Amino acid sequence: MDDDRIAAEDWHGVSPKYLWVDLVGRLIPWIVLAVVLLLVQLAKGGWWWLGLAAVLVIAVLIAVFTPARVHSIRYRLRDDDLVFRRGIMWRRVVAVPYGRMQLIDITRGPIARTLGLAELKFVTAAAATGVIIPGLPEAEAEGLRDRLVALAESRRAGL
Amino acid sequence: MSDGPAVDPSGAPPPPLPPLLSAPPTDTGWHRLHPATPLFRGGIILIVVLGFVAAQLRDSIVQLVAGGVIGQELPPDPQDPFDRWILEHAAIALAIVAALIVVVLLFGWLSWRMHEYRITDEIVEEREGVIARKHRRARLDRIQGVDVVRPLLPRIFGAARLDISVAGNDGNIRLAYLGSAQADRMKSDLLLAAGRARLAHQPPPPPPVAPDPTTAFAPVSPAPDRLAPAPPPPGALIAPAPGAAGAVLGAGGVLDRRIQEFTAPELDDALAAPGSVVHMHPARLIGATFLDAVPIFIVLAVFIAGIEVAARSPIVLVTIIPVLIGLGSQLWRRVSRSLRYSIAATPAGIRIGFGLLSTTNETLPPGRIHAVEVSQPLLWRPFGWWRIRINRASTSARNGAEGQRSTTILPVGDVDDVARVVGLILPGLDVSGLLQGSTAEATPAFTTSPRRGAWFRWFSWRRNGFAHGGEAVLLRKGQLWRSLTLVPLARVQSVEIASGPLYRAARLRRVAVHTVHGVVRPRLGALDVADAERMWRETESATILAMEVAP
Repeated sequence: MDDDRIAAEDWHGVSPKYLWVDLVGRLIPWIVLAVVLLLVQLAKGGWWWLGLAAVLVIAVLIAVFTPARVHSIRYRLRDDDLVFRRGIMWRRVVAVPYGRMQLIDITRGPIARTLGLAELKFVTAAAATGVIIPGLPEAEAEGLRDRLVALAESRRAGL
Repeated sequence: MSDGPAVDPSGAPPPPLPPLLSAPPTDTGWHRLHPATPLFRGGIILIVVLGFVAAQLRDSIVQLVAGGVIGQELPPDPQDPFDRWILEHAAIALAIVAALIVVVLLFGWLSWRMHEYRITDEIVEEREGVIARKHRRARLDRIQGVDVVRPLLPRIFGAARLDISVAGNDGNIRLAYLGSAQADRMKSDLLLAAGRARLAHQPPPPPPVAPDPTTAFAPVSPAPDRLAPAPPPPGALIAPAPGAAGAVLGAGGVLDRRIQEFTAPELDDALAAPGSVVHMHPARLIGATFLDAVPIFIVLAVFIAGIEVAARSPIVLVTIIPVLIGLGSQLWRRVSRSLRYSIAATPAGIRIGFGLLSTTNETLPPGRIHAVEVSQPLLWRPFGWWRIRINRASTSARNGAEGQRSTTILPVGDVDDVARVVGLILPGLDVSGLLQGSTAEATPAFTTSPRRGAWFRWFSWRRNGFAHGGEAVLLRKGQLWRSLTLVPLARVQSVEIASGPLYRAARLRRVAVHTVHGVVRPRLGALDVADAERMWRETESATILAMEVAP
């Protein structure tokens, strides 16, 4: 998978608004940790602020890399299969034949719902497939689902 | 029994879609299980409880009975308030025990009454439960395998359990218990009916088609006429006619039949096939099982020695004894399970028999094997032994350890055994030359890791490679723990290519072939970028092609 070549093909990205969903989802645990450390520091004093600083650095790093991470999530509908890729440090590209589709899940998390986004999950008999396309505008997610179901129906294969 | 499928020796075309064969499940009404079922299910517990109670109260009971009859007054134990209470309220105690037994028996009888099953052309259905009703149904065309299991106690009484595994988690139907012969008959009926149901749900394939990669077993073709009881394959042992077992039944009576079932539990199968393609040598099995456990023993010994030295006392030796006993019984279970191993191709799929005292006899319908792994632990190498494990679509959440039992389809065998078993699963692929030896001689040729792959695969980079052949993708891995993984293309779910920062720095990639979850995880690391891309692309397009040829 030469990455340049992949980028040149007709890939679909996810909505830029998904950046906020991803950011909030990833930062919440670190913010909680930072608050706890801050409270401990205020109550007891000592060297707790070092931990607090480390947590804040990690949170900033996560925030800085979020746009690239969201940008890396792409999918492409080929003639017979769906290709999905994501990741900047640990990259993976998965190809799933349409005929292997068992069902398609659309889920809407609380943050995504307020932004009108949905997450589409392509379920096969293999749990490892793990094709989850987040951050699709709801209409697009439903359109994609209908299209994938129709494609899978025309290429139905036994388990 | 004698109304079973008649094998037509003249080779005339058998009737296209015969009705469900043989006696009980012919009609589609509801049936009950073996009448002794509650005893088999709760029997052991009941006996243990009764035995425990008897042992506890032996003195009191002796006194109750003997004391009154002989008129000899044994001194009651005034220290034990329970004894005293029993002595004082003998009638009440007896009444309570009697009431308990009656309740248990009544409940057992009721649950047997309420537990029913039926088999129609489309589904298997089971309903049970006295207070909370449970209802399961499984479509015949989703059946992944049918096992006949005979635990020791039911086996003595001529009963067997029928496990019907269905695709998906915990979709299994377990009919416990049925008559032994009936279970065997139902197994073949179900497998035939399942084959028919699968056909009915898919358009008939165009007649002149290339060999069908989904039905990876030679004896079965998707054409309907072959699903009827096939004439015996040329040169094969002719299956005993179903009437033969019936004759024995009449002549020798129940005891003879029981002995026959006990010694040859597989003879009753109307679909009995040519004998097992692998013969298990007991010495090899014991040796292999023991060698498999050697690393555990070494770890254990080092651990004990360390603690002994540190603590300067032999106290640990005492605590280690239960561990040793547990390990020993585990090893014995594995050996006894595999001692009467057999594997053979039947028209309904691959049949595997296991077990010395409790027997399991299962049939894997065609195309239900999703991945195959031939592997060799380090200590087995001097002997040239291998084992074969598989992934299959049905996993049972009902029984943890037992659910995994059927992943090993060849506990130990030499290269020839392996080649024969793999030949059953993927006909037309000879793996005997692929397991060992250099990569250059192998056909199909393997594409292996580049030189720089040695950074990540220190010993095995020359062996670490993939190939396509025989309607499957082949992954060869490991220098110390050698293995060969085969994934039938028609069963591949998706293909992944991945990399981390280190791999990218070395221009390497990892490719994973996704199959249903199981013990086999087909993935291959440290491949050159171009090779990995080629494998990813070829596997994907070959998968799509395999799906188009036959769904």
